[in-house]
Amino acid sequence: MFFAVLLSALFGSLVLQHFLGAVPPWGARVFLMPVIFFYGALSLSTNAMLVLAFVCGFFWDILHVQWVDDAMELGVGWSVIAYAVLGALMSGLRPLFLRGRWEVHCLFSGVATSVLVALEYVMLSLRREPLRFEFSPGIWGRILGAGLVALVLSPLVFVVLGYLARLVGHRHYRPERGEDAARGL
Amino acid sequence: MRFRSKLIAAALFVVAVGVLILGAGNQAAVRGAQSSFLSLITPFLKSGSALERKFTAFREGLKTLEDLESECRTLRTVNKELSATNQVLRGLESENNRLRNALGYRERSIFKLLPARIIGRDISTWFNQVTIDRGSEDGLRRDMPVLTEDGLVGKTTAVSEHSAVVVLISDESCKVAAVVENSREQGIARGERASSATTPMTSLFFLSKQAGLKPGQRVLTSGVGGVFPAGVLLGAVQEFRVRELDGFASLVPAVDLTTLQDVFVVVSQQK
Repeated sequence: MFFAVLLSALFGSLVLQHFLGAVPPWGARVFLMPVIFFYGALSLSTNAMLVLAFVCGFFWDILHVQWVDDAMELGVGWSVIAYAVLGALMSGLRPLFLRGRWEVHCLFSGVATSVLVALEYVMLSLRREPLRFEFSPGIWGRILGAGLVALVLSPLVFVVLGYLARLVGHRHYRPERGEDAARGL
Repeated sequence: MRFRSKLIAAALFVVAVGVLILGAGNQAAVRGAQSSFLSLITPFLKSGSALERKFTAFREGLKTLEDLESECRTLRTVNKELSATNQVLRGLESENNRLRNALGYRERSIFKLLPARIIGRDISTWFNQVTIDRGSEDGLRRDMPVLTEDGLVGKTTAVSEHSAVVVLISDESCKVAAVVENSREQGIARGERASSATTPMTSLFFLSKQAGLKPGQRVLTSGVGGVFPAGVLLGAVQEFRVRELDGFASLVPAVDLTTLQDVFVVVSQQK
């Protein structure tokens, strides 16, 4: 049930992001979807996290397909891998989360969001001609700014999702108790 | 048992990602998927956009009667001016077409414009795009120019039934053949990689080193390439620099791309 809630939240955040302007002065974007995904990585089983990573990556990629001369700039699918790797790292921080400590996870959400934005930029720079990696203050501002916004928003998102989890009777996945993927879902 | 379940899940994940990456090689499939996804979120974007507009209208509606009267007077004057200009331009267009016809050129009509509203801003950090509320059902196709009364905005890229994605001229991937007004200088205008939603930047490349452009000189589309019609204002020169191989000018876009709300799509350029 909570998995369905997370999926709805992911879709809703994707729509909402269309109305959230860029944060001045560098134009950093407000990314809610990665933060919701990272909460999912903490509270769901690994199998469910992988499904969520697939959905997030697919949503992200399909909305970011840019056509130049009838060719795609960035392929579809790379984000799925990025989400899965970052989700797996977040899952590793689960024990602390289950003990009620959220600081590290909020910090990680911010850092990982910056990593996602930076990865996209690196791939774009590799794809575009002339090949160059411009790392001006404006570029850094957008990479780090997106992470900072995610870092600030993550406690609020975590609290809301935690409330929703309790509301639907979801118990966070605890691998040491041998709970299987189905329960995680 | 748990390890086996995880292994199976990981294997399934790898297979799914592989299928996705390999499937992305099929352009038609990706375009179809993109269009379907756009169709799926369009109703939500339209509703959200309508709400946003209502809120803005309410906020802007809180004006005094005096302000409204003054605004009405200004609008009436502008309306009269525009009607008069339009009349003159129609006359000129007809004369232009007649002369072109006499010279054997293909007759050109006024652009057929389709008004559209922006229902979604770009959600990406690196792409400068917007989503509009018109799609293939309204006659939109890929690579249709999008403009406002102030100048060029961009072109359509992905088109779904009821919405379309417009790549803005501030995006690095949007290249426009351009000409500097009152000069023979031609170049390619395109967005800067560092361009963002809050600071859209466009530049003019491949100018001659001797161009010597002055700040404020207007840059228009040249019509070369066939996507953008000729004579649409792109922007004004901000700074000209000579580089190793060519001249380069940074431009101030004619259209304020940060506050864009309503645009026109050029659905037909010729009769």
